[in-house]
Amino acid sequence: MKLPKLRSSARTAPPAGNTRRLMIVAKDPGVTFADGSLAFAEVDVPAENLIPGPTGYRVKVVDYDATAQVLYLPRASYSDDAGEPVDPFAFPAEAEASQEARLLHQARLLENPNFHAQNAYAIVMRTLARFEFALGRRVSWGFRGHQLHVAPHAFLEANAFYSEEDQGLFFGYFPGLSGATVFTCLSHDIVAHETTHALLDGLRTHFTEPSTPDQAAFHEALADVVALLSIFSLPEIVGRILRDEPPRTRDGRIPLIEPEKLTVDALTDSVIAGLGLQVGREFPDGHGAALRQSVRLKPDPTLLQQPEFLEEHRRGEVLAAAMMRAFLTLWRRRIDQLGTFEGRYNLDMVVESGAKVADHLLTMAIRAIDYCPPTDIDFSAYLAALLTADAEVVPDDSRFHYRATLAETFRAYGIAPPTEGCREDGVWDRFKPKEPVTYARSNFDSMLRDRDEVFRFIWENRGALGIDGRGQIEVDSVLPSVRHGPDGFLLKETVCTYVETAELFGAEVEKVLGVERPAGMPTTERVTAYGGGVIVFDQYGQIKFHIAHRLRSPRQAYRLALLWDRGATAVAADRRNRFAVAHRTRMEG
Amino acid sequence: MALAPTKVTLFSYQVGFGDCFLLRFHYPDRDRHALIDFGSTGKPKHAEKDHMAKVARDIAARCGGRLEVVVATHRHADHISGFATDPDGDGPGDIIAGLAIDYVVQPWTEAPDAAKDSIGPEISSPQAFTSRRMALAAMHETSRHALAMLDDGSLHRVPKAIREELEFIGRDNLSNLSAVENLMRLGRRRFYAWHGMDLPLHRVLPGVKTHVLGPPTLRQTDTIRKQRSEDEDEFWHLAPLRLSGARAAVAEGEALFPGHPTEPGNRLAAQWRWFANRVEQVQAEQVLSLVRALDKQMNNTSLILLFEVGGKSLLFPGDAQIENWRYALQSPMAEKLTAVDLYKVGHHGSLNATPRSLWARFAKRGPSTKKGRLTTVMSTMPGKHGKEERGTEVPRATLLRALETDSELHSTHRAPEGQLFQEVTLKLGG
Repeated sequence: MKLPKLRSSARTAPPAGNTRRLMIVAKDPGVTFADGSLAFAEVDVPAENLIPGPTGYRVKVVDYDATAQVLYLPRASYSDDAGEPVDPFAFPAEAEASQEARLLHQARLLENPNFHAQNAYAIVMRTLARFEFALGRRVSWGFRGHQLHVAPHAFLEANAFYSEEDQGLFFGYFPGLSGATVFTCLSHDIVAHETTHALLDGLRTHFTEPSTPDQAAFHEALADVVALLSIFSLPEIVGRILRDEPPRTRDGRIPLIEPEKLTVDALTDSVIAGLGLQVGREFPDGHGAALRQSVRLKPDPTLLQQPEFLEEHRRGEVLAAAMMRAFLTLWRRRIDQLGTFEGRYNLDMVVESGAKVADHLLTMAIRAIDYCPPTDIDFSAYLAALLTADAEVVPDDSRFHYRATLAETFRAYGIAPPTEGCREDGVWDRFKPKEPVTYARSNFDSMLRDRDEVFRFIWENRGALGIDGRGQIEVDSVLPSVRHGPDGFLLKETVCTYVETAELFGAEVEKVLGVERPAGMPTTERVTAYGGGVIVFDQYGQIKFHIAHRLRSPRQAYRLALLWDRGATAVAADRRNRFAVAHRTRMEG
Repeated sequence: MALAPTKVTLFSYQVGFGDCFLLRFHYPDRDRHALIDFGSTGKPKHAEKDHMAKVARDIAARCGGRLEVVVATHRHADHISGFATDPDGDGPGDIIAGLAIDYVVQPWTEAPDAAKDSIGPEISSPQAFTSRRMALAAMHETSRHALAMLDDGSLHRVPKAIREELEFIGRDNLSNLSAVENLMRLGRRRFYAWHGMDLPLHRVLPGVKTHVLGPPTLRQTDTIRKQRSEDEDEFWHLAPLRLSGARAAVAEGEALFPGHPTEPGNRLAAQWRWFANRVEQVQAEQVLSLVRALDKQMNNTSLILLFEVGGKSLLFPGDAQIENWRYALQSPMAEKLTAVDLYKVGHHGSLNATPRSLWARFAKRGPSTKKGRLTTVMSTMPGKHGKEERGTEVPRATLLRALETDSELHSTHRAPEGQLFQEVTLKLGG
């Protein structure tokens, strides 16, 4: 029997570099420049020894098509005979010189399923690397395995989603309005969006449990924000979208751009909402465009109260809109500080300033997850987490006013930090124990990595932490967080999350959760309620933050009332279809 | 003194998974009858082949050859299949057609044309109406394609449970042209009703006031949803195309990437097999969720009728689910629900058809000692629809418990085998 080839062709030790470059479609195949070329870009991804798929240490592409019931065989090779990494789809030399050759090469890539597989692999890895960079540690997927499976052509269906149960991402394809087949795996935003679901699920697994509309909406919003901000790390693409001129025609001139192209509305239209969106344009009923409507939502503090915005995707758009508007405001502010040449701006500087703001916000958005309670997340708590994440790294906000701008923009969309547990500027309060904390019985070294040790610490100090012990407590994670402190020194902290789960009968709701039982709920009704918190230990092993959603809390009333009305008080989340249904509904508009 | 019924008897027919209710209004001069739904998608155990014809004959005998009112709440097979005729003229629908029928009531979505006169639904535009009708037709098409995928082997490696559910819901949503056409011919007058319509059934059922709580019209729905229904319709127009496109691609052997080497699904190397299998299951669940979604849409076209007669209120909501109920529950008519004496349990006891806020409104529910206690009537068959582990089983266990504890429940699934119907009597004027 012929054994499957699992070893790569590399015979020598892998080269020392940390990254390699791979070709991707930068936005989607719908972005076409004036010279007819498409927005391809080479991106850096973590270097590794890839075997066919491509399959690496965190991603396994399995190009199986359930509609056609065939596997598109992976034929691309990712290293040369010397074991050096190669990009099998890099533009050949002649494509650099000749426009015709370039267009031909681009067209060939779009017809090659192995390139599609590479595109999905590279964007997933790039998104993973971005999370790991922001958090200063390895980030696990939302399931026990190490490799996220990716099906770039899973089925003929206008849908793409993450399934925890199947440990994978599924990308559909469909005939577009123009007759051409649309591949969702070629859309940068869709791949980055789905990858973010898988990553957020790994960081906060309880965010997929049934809860208030904010929780489901948060998953969508963060996925959108990551997808939208990621593109700014490709300056050549952003620059070209703002001013469509092939770089090679510059001849050393400074490219300039008119100020009217740099207003908040113009930037929204060009760089954020107007990009590509082949999926949107080609979707049979044109509703895919709704995917990007969020950024056009004008600030309105009543939005979240409107019935339309109770629906999770619409609700998520409000959070994404607040983030993107804050981004544009901050970018615009930096542009204002740039000099002009006869009234026009230096395009490269404009793009660079956008990249800086996007990079900072993206890091904040990801780091903020560490400061979010592990259950029943709401927009308000996320804002406090966002502000805290930034305040920890940049205590002085007076230069660029990131935090002030975010707080102000979020308020304009009706999102304010929680009224309790926060400083006046919205940053979480430092931990102030009501009774003394006992550190002496815990082993400092074990506390950095051992769930049982952290559990012991929590159990011993449950009084000081305000945990009433009625729920079952489980320590979800104990993770190191490494970053540069404001003084430039390396700061090592430990982030631990614990979750309290209470299985109750209706009769116990008031006693345990401190809220009234929803009208009509029988005393015998089974109810599952969650509490939990994140404890950040500083470099001395002392508690710096304890950010908790307690079991006994007024928020339980809203959650219970909603679940009771939906008949889902004790129904577990559907770990396969949770995002499948959500995303199809969204694409349907 | 005006003519009014003195008593109401409800015959709840054993049709397995389906609905068939004959309401008898007893008047001093003669009895008058209303038939509410007549369909089944899962015959009762040990039922004979001509079970539905047997039911039809019993209805004919019981109403003495005359039905004042026929109501078809919506076009699902488990509510209308009994109206289907046979080429040789002895189908259950032929027996019903042989009766003298005065009025036929259906939801506005079944109107043959966008009515231009005052009895037409208050729709946004004739185009919107046409669009909705096309969407309903497309839903049948989608079901047909989904069932064909079961037949052509596209889903043969998928777990049995998924295939069975797909088949069950798919069949319920297939177009039953014969029944639909028969319903279009039946009766002296036909009404296509919507929320708030003044339905003049009192002309043939004196002393009975009928309120139409649902379905809402497109415009009414828009006022609570702010979502354009036409967009939703358009999705359904295209849904069958997507499935048929997928099937055609398979049937014609059209390659997505011509010339690229492939490996067939049944001969995959070990490293691909686990996930490839997952992709197949996920695809099948996609089709299933599409079919589930259209099933729900169709349920939400259900008529919700409330009869007020001799101081009693009888509620017949067909299979209306939460989206249909939502409009009724926030309307002034919702107040009328407090006084309901008899409730036909919506959608065979499913999770979403008896919203908690509806159940909470029934003031007459309570323990068996309660005077004038609520009566509930359910026609259902366990093990046909939904999954217990997902909390979607029909009838839903938690609802069943509430019905048993807080009302006088009559359910066909508890009836002795072989019994053709259950009889429930309400005395009036008390």
